[in-house]
Amino acid sequence: MLSVKGARKTFYAGTLDERRALDDLDLTLADGDFCVVIGSNGAGKSTLLNAISGKQRLDAGSVTIDGVDVTALPVHRRARYIARVFQDPMIGTAPTMTIAENMLLAELRGRRLRLAHGLTQRRRQTYRDRLALLGLGLENRIDAPVGVLSGGQRQSLSLIMAVTTEPRILLLDEHTAALDPKTADTVMQATIRAIAEFHLTVLMVTHNMEHAVRYGNRLIMMDRGAVHLEVAMPEKAGYTVDSLIERFHVKTDRMVLQA
Amino acid sequence: MMDFVSSFIGLIPVTIAQSLILSFVAIGIMLPFRILDFPDLSSEGAFPLGGVVTGVTVAAGYDPLLAIALAVVCGFLAGCTTAFIHLRFRINTLLAGILVLTMLYSINLRIMGRTNIALFTYESLFRNLGASWANDPYFKTLVVGVIVFGVLALLYAFFNTEKGMGMRAVGASPDMAEAQGISIWSMTIAGVGLASAFSALAGSLMAQSQGFADVGMGFGILINGLAALIIGEVIVGRKSIGRQLLAPVVGSVVYYQLISLCLTIGLQPGDLKLATGLFVLAMLAAPRLFGGSSTSIAGMKN
Repeated sequence: MLSVKGARKTFYAGTLDERRALDDLDLTLADGDFCVVIGSNGAGKSTLLNAISGKQRLDAGSVTIDGVDVTALPVHRRARYIARVFQDPMIGTAPTMTIAENMLLAELRGRRLRLAHGLTQRRRQTYRDRLALLGLGLENRIDAPVGVLSGGQRQSLSLIMAVTTEPRILLLDEHTAALDPKTADTVMQATIRAIAEFHLTVLMVTHNMEHAVRYGNRLIMMDRGAVHLEVAMPEKAGYTVDSLIERFHVKTDRMVLQA
Repeated sequence: MMDFVSSFIGLIPVTIAQSLILSFVAIGIMLPFRILDFPDLSSEGAFPLGGVVTGVTVAAGYDPLLAIALAVVCGFLAGCTTAFIHLRFRINTLLAGILVLTMLYSINLRIMGRTNIALFTYESLFRNLGASWANDPYFKTLVVGVIVFGVLALLYAFFNTEKGMGMRAVGASPDMAEAQGISIWSMTIAGVGLASAFSALAGSLMAQSQGFADVGMGFGILINGLAALIIGEVIVGRKSIGRQLLAPVVGSVVYYQLISLCLTIGLQPGDLKLATGLFVLAMLAAPRLFGGSSTSIAGMKN
């Protein structure tokens, strides 16, 4: 369970550029919730994800995961609870390291690294099996450096790295936005399958209204650093892209263009 | 003509022994630069630090092995300081290194109390192991070669452990590393510390090999080590962790032979720094000038 309470974050406080990215935001995800977050640029979506992952410290408020207050913990100390797929395929993986090495680090996420040989035969086989699920042929290339993979392949790898370790919370940060439509769809399908298979608790930020309508059991729209509107199942099932836009009075060009 | 050929050939064994010692400096430059993406200059201060600590310890009558251990520990602390300055105060890594190496000059002088110590009359690793062969370059090559081999084997094993991969991830993608629960702080401090420990080890072995320690003994060592590293990377590449570890050693052996060659054909020792500097500059600039394919040599981002 994830709980964000009274989260506040102001950038450039006391200057003309002062911007309130999170304004007394409350959000609670129950186990198994798949919550989609939409909102215009600057609404605070990224700040929210960063506040949960620990990348951004809050000015006020708290973040609790499974009853543990993690507000004061840095990113690496929260990693045992949280897996994250970044928007930029370049960030979520280590390019100069091999696919197998990347998967090893993901498997050990949040655990104490030992001075023992990392890539045992058994682990290598496990990784091959996991990669085979993607159907991209990556299982035959586990010793290739990740840097030689395409953006879509890297993002698929990031996803496998994040989900197969069964995190308590999965953060998806517009993780298909940098991909071409076809690849984005493939990655999204793999995401949905994995979420269902591992019963993950998910917070997904997206600009894709189609995805927002189709996926998840909850949908929230952020505006000026707070939850502006929320719909949940079963009401959410009745939404189409058009009715969603109407309901949320979506103003941003980016969202209208993508809709 | 024959004169310089025979004197160059005569110098080969001595140069190999020296270059193996100095390959630890190249390893100390490679580790932060290539593994942690933390270009570091501390080795220029850590090398004489290792020599000075060794000189004082040996001259006080202690065992050379203790001297080596102390040198390595001091070098490690120097590297940790550089990493800490960068992490804590967000000061550029190169500037942090310059600060540390500059401050180390005063510290080295304080440790020694004078600018140099002659060690000819004291124990050394080579003398303790080899007695009458102590000054035989082949014997030195054997001793240092064994140490180099052992260190490379240990480093290779380490970078294939869970912890070693965590360290590599910090350099390869800090965001990814952090998201997997790896502490950038502890990995960077440990890695840069380790690198300076190797530079100090080189200083310690050098002082024992040449029979004196001098506060000025590290001058220009960084550019020499960088040149050696670059040559090594051209020769053995850096596509795998094994090659990346081998590069500084191979490069060091080749580089110091080139230097020896330059000296025997009559180049002034004072001109060598300019020559080396121009060489490093050319190697780093080549990808920019000729584009694409050779970027891996300079390893610059983008």
